[in-house]
Formats: sequence, C-alpha cells, structure tokens
Amino acid sequence: MLRSGGSELTITEFTAWFGKLKLDSQGEVQDCDLFDGNPEKLAELVVELQENSQAVPLKRTDLRDAAIECSFVELDEDYDVLLREVCIRAAKSQISRTDSDDSRIIQAVEALDDIDKNVNELSERLFEWYGRYFPELEMTGEELAGFVSAYGSRTNIPEGHELFEKASKSMGAELSFADEELLRAFANNICSLYDTRRYIENYINNSMGSVAPNLCEIAGASLGARLMSMAGSLEKLAAFPSSTVQVIGANRALFKHLRSKAPSPKHGIIFNNPVIKNAPWWQRGKLSRALASKISLAARTDFYSGELDQSIKDSLDKKLESIRQANPNPPKKKPHGKGGKRKSGGKNRSKKSGGKR
Amino acid sequence: MPVKELHSGIYELDIDDRKILATKNMIPGTSVYGERLISDDGIEYRQWDPCRSKLGAMVLRNFDIPLDADSTVLYLGAASGTTVSHISDILMDGLIYAVEFSPRTMRDLIQLCDQRPNIIPILADANKPQSYAHIVEKVDMIFQDVAQPNQAEIAAINSKYFLEEHGHLMLSIKSRSIDTVASPKKIFKEEVRKLESGFDIEFEVLERKELDPFHEDHLGLVAQIFVDEED
Ligand SMILES: C[S@@+](CC[C@H](N)C(=O)[O-])C[C@H]1O[C@@H](n2cnc3c(N)ncnc32)[C@H](O)[C@@H]1O
Repeated sequence: MLRSGGSELTITEFTAWFGKLKLDSQGEVQDCDLFDGNPEKLAELVVELQENSQAVPLKRTDLRDAAIECSFVELDEDYDVLLREVCIRAAKSQISRTDSDDSRIIQAVEALDDIDKNVNELSERLFEWYGRYFPELEMTGEELAGFVSAYGSRTNIPEGHELFEKASKSMGAELSFADEELLRAFANNICSLYDTRRYIENYINNSMGSVAPNLCEIAGASLGARLMSMAGSLEKLAAFPSSTVQVIGANRALFKHLRSKAPSPKHGIIFNNPVIKNAPWWQRGKLSRALASKISLAARTDFYSGELDQSIKDSLDKKLESIRQANPNPPKKKPHGKGGKRKSGGKNRSKKSGGKR
Repeated sequence: MPVKELHSGIYELDIDDRKILATKNMIPGTSVYGERLISDDGIEYRQWDPCRSKLGAMVLRNFDIPLDADSTVLYLGAASGTTVSHISDILMDGLIYAVEFSPRTMRDLIQLCDQRPNIIPILADANKPQSYAHIVEKVDMIFQDVAQPNQAEIAAINSKYFLEEHGHLMLSIKSRSIDTVASPKKIFKEEVRKLESGFDIEFEVLERKELDPFHEDHLGLVAQIFVDEED
C-alpha cells in the first residue's frame, strides 16, 4: 500500500447504500452526505449503484459502523430492518425488469411428463429384471425401486422383516454380487427420479402462486400450470376464448403430454379439476363451462394485472352452487346419446380403470 | 426424542433410531422446500436434507462449522434458498447476505426473504463484488456454492472485499463445473493450490473433505485468510 509521505489527506469517495462517504487512506470516514431514508428511493439508488459499479477502496470503513457513526440509523437492528427492506425492493424491481415469465413453469410441467414417461419404462424394466431373482415380491414402481435399492439381494432381508419368510423360500435365481450392485444402482436412479418428480411438483405448486395467482386460485396449481403449458404461455392462454379453454387437452396431438392423467378425450383437461371430476355426470358439462369461463378471466387478470382478485373465486363459487341447485337430479336421457340411439345410461361410465398413482 | 446439538443451532434428532439432521424452524408451521417438520417438546425442527445442501453434507462429514447465532454471513450462489433457509434458522441474531444472479431463482429467494427477517437478497454476479460493495458489510463467514469454473477466484475476490480478518471461507467445489473429464482429485488439488498461493490474497485451508455420498465429485473446504505475522 502506498503511503504518500506526510500528507495523510488522500481522500477517496465511496458511495454506500445510505450515503456518500469520504474516506481517508485508512478507510476511516472523514465526511458523510446521507441519503434520504425513504426505502423506495434508497432501493432505486441501490439498483443504480449496482449497475454502474464504482471503484471500491479495499481499505474502507465497515458500512454498519459508518451508518451508525453518521447517525443514519441509531441501532444495529434499525440498520438490519431498513437494509433488508431496501434490498428486497431493489431485487424485486430488478426481477420485474428481467423476468416475468411463465416459461419456467412450463418447462417444469414438461419435465414432469418426461419423467413420468421415463420412470414408467424404467420401473417396468426393473420389475422384469428383479423378478428373475425374487418373483414372489409383489411390488412395483417406487416401492419396488426403494426395496431393491435398500436390500439388493433377497438374501439381505433381515430376519424379522415381514418378507423374510417369502425371501428365504423364493424360487428366484441367485443374484451374483456384480448383478446386485448393478440392480441397486439402477434402482437408486429410479428412486431419485421419483424424488425429482415430487420436487418438481412442489416447485410448481410453490411458484404458480407468484406467476399466476388467479389461475392458481381458480384452477389449482397443477391444472393451471398444465393449461399454460398446453396453450404455450400465459399470454396465449389469456387470449383464448373460454370455449377453447374448455377443450384444451382434448386434442390428440397435445394428449401425449397427459399420459399419466388422461381424462376422457372428449373433454379438455379441466375435467381433472375436482369440482368437475367429483360432480355427478349430468352436471359436468355446465360446471365445466362455468369453470372454463372463470379460468379465462383468471388468466387475463394474471396477465394484465398480476394481482389476486378474490371476486373471481367468489363469483365462480356462486355460479357453481347455482348450477348444482338447478340440476339436482339426472335427466331422463343421457345428454350426449347421439341421434336416434337410445341407450340407457352408463355405458362408458362403469369402466373405472386401475388405481391412481 | 433424543436431540443432540452438533454445532450452534444445528441438531441431530433421533427418531426411532434414525438420525435426522435439522435446524429449529424460525417460522413454525412452514416448510421451505418440502422438508419434514418435526415437533418435540414445543420446539419445531425442520429436517435438513444433506443431499440437497452442501453445508448440510459438510455437517455430516464432521466439518467444524464456523457459525454462531450472531454471525454475519455472505452467501454466494443462494439459489432458491434451500441452504440459506437453514442458515437463517441458525443465525437467530445474525444476518445473511444472499447473492444469486439468476433472476428466476431470485424470485423464490425473495419469497423466503419476505418471511424471514434475517436474509438480505442481492441479485448480482459474484464475479463482481464491486457491484454489491455498497450493500455488504464485513462478514464472519463467506459460504460459496456457485458451481462455476472460476470458483476459487470468486472466493478470493469476495474474501478480499468482505471477509473479516479472522473470518472463515466455506467453499463447495464441484469438479465437473471446472473440467468434466479430468479426475476430481487432481482438480481439487489444483483448486486448493490456487487458494493457498494463486491470488493476491492467500488462504490457509483448515479442513477439506469430499462430500460423498451426499454429493458426488464435490469437495468441501474451510479456510481462513492467511496472515503473515510480520506485516
Ligand atoms: C449449486 S446452486 C446453489 C445451491 C444452494 N447453495 C443451496 O444449497 O441451496 C448454484 C447457484 O449459484 C448461482 N450462481 C452461479 N454463478 C453465479 C455467480 N457468478 N454469481 C451469483 N450466483 C451464481 C446459480 O444461479 C445457482 O443458483
């Protein structure tokens, strides 16, 4: 470090978030010009300073000490509270300039579908593979993967384990050490895919609220995210007429996205909403029309204002209730029995295929 | 339920003979990233998943963790705040400056900051400490997890600007973000060498261990600025 002979008065200027400081060569404050304590203004300054980085003297006073010394704040706590507020405001304003997008949610939804597809294939492979060594084990999917990853060979199952009996009497082939390691590693990967799947779901649930609060409120995080994904963006979803929203997802080409939760292809994915799924069949058409119209409204509100508007949900609830009241009993004929064909109801209805995940 | 305090504010819970790493939940009732909440004796803990957090892994690999309830921390590469949230639990009277440069992740981090009074979010590039020198004070600890090729350099310049003379640097080095093919051991050695003598600030590496099985090909490291006695 240079110390100019005699003259101690090499002054450097340094602007801190709370004011302009003049520092001597030891970094001590000689003079300070404090900013106004209004958080909003300070946030603007902080952003500006960040964008035009200043030269920073390595020898400089501690900011907190200086702020207290110059009486910008009185106490440590005041410093923390104000700085935090300023920085949160600054970061929010920086973000809103760079990123207001729904695309990360869309990526996440698509990643979910990719994982589903892969995890199903891999699980089937594991089932078949491990089945050679322990055919009596009645597990599939995540349960199986967890089991294989935990125990490997059935000979590792400890006495007292509920499967011990089954394992020792199994007709399966013996598992060599090398094969066991391989199967375990494979199963481990499947487990982590399931974990990632939950992680992504969690992520979608957590972020929908900030990206599209109204859509999230009306359709639910997961359905809302899927609608955005299928429409292509929040903007496009907002631009669709509600009659289109009602059938989004019925299209065969889009349908592959849905694999895991495929509803009847006559209807869009909004049929996944419990409001409709759990309603008696004769109310579903009307309910889904009402829901679709509020979803459209919600998407528009999110896109144009971004603020949660409680009245959308209230009016949806009212509308749904009035539909339920007005249609308490099944009509005589099935509503979409085509032309002359008169079938007594229930043809497609009774087929409830297998369990949910 | 047996509870053991491993370090200040870091606990090991014993639940049916399974050991669980946890911190005391500063905001009871809320889970930050889907982690489990566990109540005992009127205290709520949040499970700390070492596979999701380098610092968590470092605790389980028996590092000495230089954190106290009143520490000030600069955290580089905060992402959406998984680890930051646990540090926030630990620092009951402290403060974390959380730097992250991806606006998308910053969004989630801000939600966390909105709930917790001791996290200060900074959207900035850790390569440019000048861009946040007007905000960050001298800190007791710098924690860095940025997964960048120039990790050591980032650590060095930030320490130069912000680390208290006797403060600690904690670093997670990911070998694959430096070189995808070279052997991790070789990379780690080189990074340690750089920290010890590659920059105009020199470090003394106090502890270094790989973070497996929690994180493959990651090295955890604790260092202090090396001070030449006669200066
Ligand atoms: C491995 S993640 C950190 C995870 C986090 N430490 C945790 O445990 O919760 C790395 C993060 O560093 C951020 N990052 C990378 N380079 C950076 C830089 N130069 N400045 C600031 N952040 C950076 C990335 O955006 C990413 O979010």
